[in-house]
Amino acid sequence: MTTAPTSKSTTPPDRTFALSKRLFAYRPGLFVFNLFMWGMFHVAPALIILAVSRVFGQLDQAEILRNGGESVAPAIAAAWVFVAWFAVVRASRFGVFYGAFRAFIEFWYTLDALVRRNLLGYLLTTPGSRRLPDTPAEAVSRFRDDVEDVAMYTEVWIDSAGIFLYSVIAITLMARVDPLITVLVCAPLLLMVAFVQKLSPTIRSYRRRMREATARVTDFVGETFGAVSAVKLAAREDGMVAHLRSLGETRRHAALRDVLLTELIRGVNTNMVNLAVGLVLLLGANKIRGGTLEIADFVLFIGLLPRLTGSMGYFGDAIARHRRTGVSYDRMTRLLQDGSDAKIVEHHPVYLHSGPPAPPTAPSELPLEELRVSNLTATHDSGLGVRDASFSVRQGEFVVITGRIGSGKSTLLRALLGLIPVQSGTVEWNGRTVEDPATFLVPPRSAYTSQIPSLFSDSLRENVLSGSDEARLARAVRLAVLEPDLAQLPQGLDTPVGARGVKLSGGQMQRTAVARMLARDADLLVFDDVSSALDARTEAQLWDGLFSETDSTCLVVSHRRAALTRADRILLMQDGRIVDGGTLAELLDRSEEMRALWTDGESQGQGGVKR
Amino acid sequence: MPAPASTSSPDPAEPSRPSSTLGVLRVYLGPLKWQVAGLAALLLTGTGLNLLLPQLLRTFVDNAKLGAGADVGLLARLAGFYILLAIGVQLMTAGATYVGARVGWTATNRLRVDLMAHLLSLDMREHKERTPGEMIERVDGDVTALSNFFSQFAVRVFGAALLLIGAMFMFFREDWRVGVGVGVFVVATLIAMNSVRKLGVEPTRMEREASAKLFGFVEERLAGLEDIRSLGAGGHHLNGFLRTQRTFFTNSIYSWRRRSVVWQLSMALFAVGYVGVLVAAVGLYAAGTITLGTAFLLYQYMSLVEEPIDQLTQQLQELQKAGASLFRIGEILALRSAIHGGSAELPGDGALSLEFENVTFTYSPGEPEMRGVLHDVSFHLPAGQTLGLLGRTGSGKTTLTRLVSRLYDATSGSVRLGGTNVQDVDLHGLRRRVAVVTQDVQLFQASVRDNLSFFDPEITDEEVEAALREVGLGTWLARLKDGVHTPLPTGSLSAGEAQLLAFARVMLRDPAVIILDEPSSRLDPATEALLTAAMSRLLAGRTAIIIAHRLDTVARADRILVLGDGEVLEDGPRAVLAGIPHSHYAELLRAGTLEEEGEGVLA
Repeated sequence: MTTAPTSKSTTPPDRTFALSKRLFAYRPGLFVFNLFMWGMFHVAPALIILAVSRVFGQLDQAEILRNGGESVAPAIAAAWVFVAWFAVVRASRFGVFYGAFRAFIEFWYTLDALVRRNLLGYLLTTPGSRRLPDTPAEAVSRFRDDVEDVAMYTEVWIDSAGIFLYSVIAITLMARVDPLITVLVCAPLLLMVAFVQKLSPTIRSYRRRMREATARVTDFVGETFGAVSAVKLAAREDGMVAHLRSLGETRRHAALRDVLLTELIRGVNTNMVNLAVGLVLLLGANKIRGGTLEIADFVLFIGLLPRLTGSMGYFGDAIARHRRTGVSYDRMTRLLQDGSDAKIVEHHPVYLHSGPPAPPTAPSELPLEELRVSNLTATHDSGLGVRDASFSVRQGEFVVITGRIGSGKSTLLRALLGLIPVQSGTVEWNGRTVEDPATFLVPPRSAYTSQIPSLFSDSLRENVLSGSDEARLARAVRLAVLEPDLAQLPQGLDTPVGARGVKLSGGQMQRTAVARMLARDADLLVFDDVSSALDARTEAQLWDGLFSETDSTCLVVSHRRAALTRADRILLMQDGRIVDGGTLAELLDRSEEMRALWTDGESQGQGGVKR
Repeated sequence: MPAPASTSSPDPAEPSRPSSTLGVLRVYLGPLKWQVAGLAALLLTGTGLNLLLPQLLRTFVDNAKLGAGADVGLLARLAGFYILLAIGVQLMTAGATYVGARVGWTATNRLRVDLMAHLLSLDMREHKERTPGEMIERVDGDVTALSNFFSQFAVRVFGAALLLIGAMFMFFREDWRVGVGVGVFVVATLIAMNSVRKLGVEPTRMEREASAKLFGFVEERLAGLEDIRSLGAGGHHLNGFLRTQRTFFTNSIYSWRRRSVVWQLSMALFAVGYVGVLVAAVGLYAAGTITLGTAFLLYQYMSLVEEPIDQLTQQLQELQKAGASLFRIGEILALRSAIHGGSAELPGDGALSLEFENVTFTYSPGEPEMRGVLHDVSFHLPAGQTLGLLGRTGSGKTTLTRLVSRLYDATSGSVRLGGTNVQDVDLHGLRRRVAVVTQDVQLFQASVRDNLSFFDPEITDEEVEAALREVGLGTWLARLKDGVHTPLPTGSLSAGEAQLLAFARVMLRDPAVIILDEPSSRLDPATEALLTAAMSRLLAGRTAIIIAHRLDTVARADRILVLGDGEVLEDGPRAVLAGIPHSHYAELLRAGTLEEEGEGVLA
């Protein structure tokens, strides 16, 4: 549950630019359209203020005429013309907004979808071993919050163009009236941008703390509900709720700091507008007397300033958001681990308007003759694991790996399959070295069932098939001895299995996972201790079915007699090493350890012997 | 350890939880009334100052138009005063935002806690329907949407409403006709906005629903990454993701479009409003009714109307999101556990007898034609004895034990512990006395200590260490670099070690009844030997049910119960059954194995 500090915490700013540029280029037409529409939307207020200033200019004119005793009619008529101008610009801004908004939503959610697709796609399909740096729940917050941050960053760019244009127009209009006042008013605005710049590292660290506190909360909620029956059975609900309360408290502190700082910056921003208006009044006071500044100019200044200050504030905020986006990219890159950050913004179809095509077909068949593992070493940080393991499995063999708890049996299988990083050693398939076991040792070459299989909240059928051909279903279900279960389930294969398969019993989950593996017709079947959730008879049925109906090669972790007695060869593991190998009779004859394992398992099922 | 009185199982008589928006506001903002009052004071002052600013501008304009005759000293004073007021307004707003956020976070933290407590009190039928990812979305996602609502609502909505009322009052003061016109405009705008606001509620709910599905999908796939990859099913699941994401995309776009109608309407109406005020200003000036300064004042006040209505509209957006979230929170709070605790207490310390009387159970009580899992099961287990529960996979052994700890309730018949029907017993008290080691050990990705103590700070490290040593994990513990504070090494923990940890959890408690559901199923024989001693200590003086696949595991049992297809095939003292030649148990002993192939002793 710990959130390790980001090791490469400094994202070069140009990286955020480069990545975002690549991201925006995903739908270039839509991006440009957004720029154009939002540009118009942001510039329109300048035209509106100009109209208002002319209206009051004409009224001022009328005042002079009135004081001079002349007819005010021409000035008033001119004022009406500007009122009409005002009305037209306002109305068209409404139309622009309608189009611009739709375009933006489409663009935003498309990029959102692309980034999420890339993250998941990378984790699911790229070569090499993939292990999440944190809990799945924690990783979900990468998919939720960080992806949104990155996609929302488009807003900065799309708005920036329009707001920049507005600023240029506004400053030009003001400078034409009085350059000195313009400079004196704009200078503090620039100061403020510098101020925000200076604060941004602090913003960043507050923001990170806030995110981390949030991750701890979501993480904890996920963990709690992932283990909800354990919590309930232990009657520990209160303790869990109390822990959530304390995590929430930490997060509240982090959030309030974030709010305080953001508010301080916003305060400076908005204060500037009023200070600037005050300055205009102060500086203008003299000029009005001298007649160099008219009411119309004055209205223009007061009208243009708020949005101009807003723009400056906006750019300050944009810098902060840019940095935050950098943090989000960092965190997503961390999720990908060895993957380059460019993977996050790679262009792939996201199929938002039509269904995705069938996934790429399985890799080519390469019938197994011999699988040879040489000097494989894979250790955990704790020092446990597998050292220097060598063995081979030939076509049609049934090889059992056995040993005590913690002797490295599961680790050996997972290292061999490329599911965990390997320090040294090679895996050969028919004599040719396998460069990336994780992508090579998949169906139709090899398939694997883990000790505690993961199922997904979907129907039983979908869980078994997982993309396989429907025609293989019946046989897989039969071989996995799942048929008796189906008869018990109300909707048979269409039964929803619930979140992570909770609606099934432990044995049913295990058999479902075996069926899922068998539905893929692989040459090499790798079982990690399926016996744990199967009774001896079911297990024997499983092995017998496999022997009689398939010519599969099996590599099995087990300590059950049902498996040991059927083994062509047994590999005996002790303290992370393969200490012996041979037939059951040979091992019983020469290995003390094997005899200990065998004797202890005596009462546990001798079906195999009788066969 | 006595159960704290605070959040015991939900009582049907408990006052109903807040289900309306106002109800939630009252419950969660009520305790913060002083902070809320401070917030109101800040907002009132800020609004008052804000309304003064345009007045200064009017005086300035009316003086300035005199041109050469203007009083420069007065103009400068006006300007200085303007700057001071502006700073005041800003300080008030910043203060209000901070206090608002504080209130919001405090209130929603409470709501999160209540929501989690409520969800945890629901029975397992509910939990089976939802992924942990979806739970995160419900407990945190929805509540965070509410947090914005809580903190922003007070500041922005209340502040905006004040400003709006103030501005309208000012219009009336200047010219009653303009006042009436603007009044009609404001009322019409608000009514129109409110009527289109509802357009967004349902799409927003669907959007959140889709978002919960999407993140639930992602979480499950990430948790099952190894399985997916080793089966070469990455592409298939990626496609599944794309389909789920497409639904999310479609729902989100639709929901944003519906919600944006509010903004569009606001822009259209304000185009009309501004033109109206400008027309009034020019018209009244031309008629000579108002001065140039007042004409400008009218235009300025219009922005004081626009700002709050803009705010209100934006907050309507938040209000919609919050409304949708509230609806879902209400939905959850309305869920009632089908399993209620009673008020009875289990008899004091020591072992308890266990009795099943004509117990029938089905997971789907609504479908009577389905054959239930348990059928008319009756047996009696005297206090302090151990029952060996035998039967084929799927015969209902696990289900039977779940009725004791009341993860489920019997469909008919009764389960009695120490003579008391378990349905009459306080749920917490019951579960504290009944310890269960399940087939599937659920661990947290947290420290070893937290895994055993369930985050209870009152359990000392020493107690945790002692429990670990007792189950034979002493050497394992010695290898951990930070002792019990080491995060549980995810992935490198074997299923056997997980089982041992589950044992240690039980060791930390002092239960009266112990249920071991296939405790040794994941242990290799050598490791199981480690447990045997600990198990004997644990079972001494306690009532126990052991489900096992090994005959020597049940050799310690006083009684044997053989279950077949949900019915009791055989029940009696072990020694007696062993002596009856044709008993199932005796046949098993002869066969030397519990689950013989072919003949189907237990079938």
